[in-house]
Amino acid sequence: MNIIVCIKQVPDVDDIKWTKENNLDRNNMLSKINPYDEYALNAAIKIKSRFKEAKVTVISMGPKQAQDVLNFALAKGANRAILLSDKAFAGSDTLATSKILAAAIKKYCPDFSLILTGQMAVDGDTQQVPLSLAQLLEIPEITNITEICNADKNVAIVSVKTDLKIDIYEINTPCLLALKTECEENYIPKIDDYIRAQNIPIEEYDINDIGINKEDVGVIGSPTMVYRAFRPEIHKDTKEIKEDITKKILDFLLKVDNK
Amino acid sequence: MKKILVYGELNSKDNTIEKVTFELLNKARRLSSEAKELKQDEEYIVEVVFCASYLVDDEINKAFKAGANRVVLIKDSVFDTFYSTVYADAFLEYFDKNPSDIILFPATPKGRLIAPRVTVQLDTGLVADCIEAEFVLKNDKLLFAPTRPTFGSELMATILSKKAPYCATIRKGVFKTDFSNAKTGEFVEYTPISYHEDRIKLIKTILNKDKNDVDFTNAKVVLCGGYGLYSNKSDEYYKKLKKLAKITDSFFGVTRKVVDFNLAEQKYQIGQTGSTVQAKLYVAFGVSGAIQHIQGMKNSKTIVAINTDENADIFKYSDYKIVADAKKVIDDLLIYFDIKI
Repeated sequence: MNIIVCIKQVPDVDDIKWTKENNLDRNNMLSKINPYDEYALNAAIKIKSRFKEAKVTVISMGPKQAQDVLNFALAKGANRAILLSDKAFAGSDTLATSKILAAAIKKYCPDFSLILTGQMAVDGDTQQVPLSLAQLLEIPEITNITEICNADKNVAIVSVKTDLKIDIYEINTPCLLALKTECEENYIPKIDDYIRAQNIPIEEYDINDIGINKEDVGVIGSPTMVYRAFRPEIHKDTKEIKEDITKKILDFLLKVDNK
Repeated sequence: MKKILVYGELNSKDNTIEKVTFELLNKARRLSSEAKELKQDEEYIVEVVFCASYLVDDEINKAFKAGANRVVLIKDSVFDTFYSTVYADAFLEYFDKNPSDIILFPATPKGRLIAPRVTVQLDTGLVADCIEAEFVLKNDKLLFAPTRPTFGSELMATILSKKAPYCATIRKGVFKTDFSNAKTGEFVEYTPISYHEDRIKLIKTILNKDKNDVDFTNAKVVLCGGYGLYSNKSDEYYKKLKKLAKITDSFFGVTRKVVDFNLAEQKYQIGQTGSTVQAKLYVAFGVSGAIQHIQGMKNSKTIVAINTDENADIFKYSDYKIVADAKKVIDDLLIYFDIKI
């Protein structure tokens, strides 16, 4: 049973730094595994622990530095790591990214039962890649998963808990499952784990290896492009209330219907 | 004539039109006038497309009033259960025969599933989770330019697409509804020929006991507590604010940090990862004004903020600034109501 986990290296959004020109100062920002992808990785490793023959392959598209998150995933217990890296991939939007991932999966691990992903990435937050990937691979998906109850080679049972209800789905493999919350214990790798992981080489593939057209990737292959980026500005005429605070708030509260 | 298509969403219980659809229709109608102002020969009609087993006349009429020139029902009983592949395939089959230039999807759980499946098959772009959309005139061409927050809303990005149809998912609650469109238009039923069989089965639904009975959609007054109400390692002031909300027939809300520290339930959270509110009156008690929170409340009509820190970011977004201890203000307000009761 082969399980693929797609992971992304993201800047730490709690540590955003800006350049003078109001651009993101990526060089001075910390990078880490997208937390939602870590939920997916933890869930995959949990499934693996139940089946002797199960294997977890982690796959990431990104610059060479993305090796860091792949090594981290190997230390956590993944069996195989694939890095899709090429200058031509830079600037890929969700469609181009999904095409690269789909092409690589078809070539390097076509016999998968499950693809696990995070629901979203904290940097882009489009939530579009899992769905686009599922569409390109022509497999069904379940998203916003809060727990993988069971999964084997043929079928997965997952639950999606919302504020109102908990839906439990059965889905035939191959399929894609996108996780929204932490549902397994988060194992923090120890030094021994990193040493063990060192014995597993990261497989690296570029545009020619994968065999995808230049027209389908990167800036050229991305139908969307940023026209302008700006930090939100506000122009409010704020009035300060200094006296009779309680009374003035009461006035607001009691007169709201007449406004 | 060009066309803006709104992907319509219905309430799964009774097939009434969800408010977000009316919001998108009004926006589409405004985009249409905007296009005409920028470039006189550009005219867009507004079409709304629903996938459902039925749609009653009242709802169809509401869609016209909200701005649609054409209402389409892709009709099949298969839509009584939601599967993204089934919906997307049927929609695409209709779309292939009736193309449009722009598609607006709601950024709802369902819309987020259908939109990427549709756009991947059309091999076109999709701009996610937009909070604004406009036309820009560039080299005498009118371009659809939606704007979305990114990097935890620290940055806004306006995105253009190279290829038609130009597609975006739009957040609910960011545009207003308007039912003043006097003209009715054409109603069309379309029966899909084929759709994908799905390999998913819903085997059980359990009601969530700690269910969310909080729906901010129609909230007129919101009293929101920030981390500044936290004192003496207790949730005392969140409880007091909740009580105040109850007495004044308002909604109680909190910021993410309050939820993260387990001081209130997630269902009360307002902001990017919580609910979006468009209240007539929004009062922030001890809210610092993180941008993620601002995204969820800034479209409220009157914003009043109370904070001890006179430089708190929340004041930049407020109509009324009160530099005071929000805890004391809550106590004073409660005293007032206690006396009155």
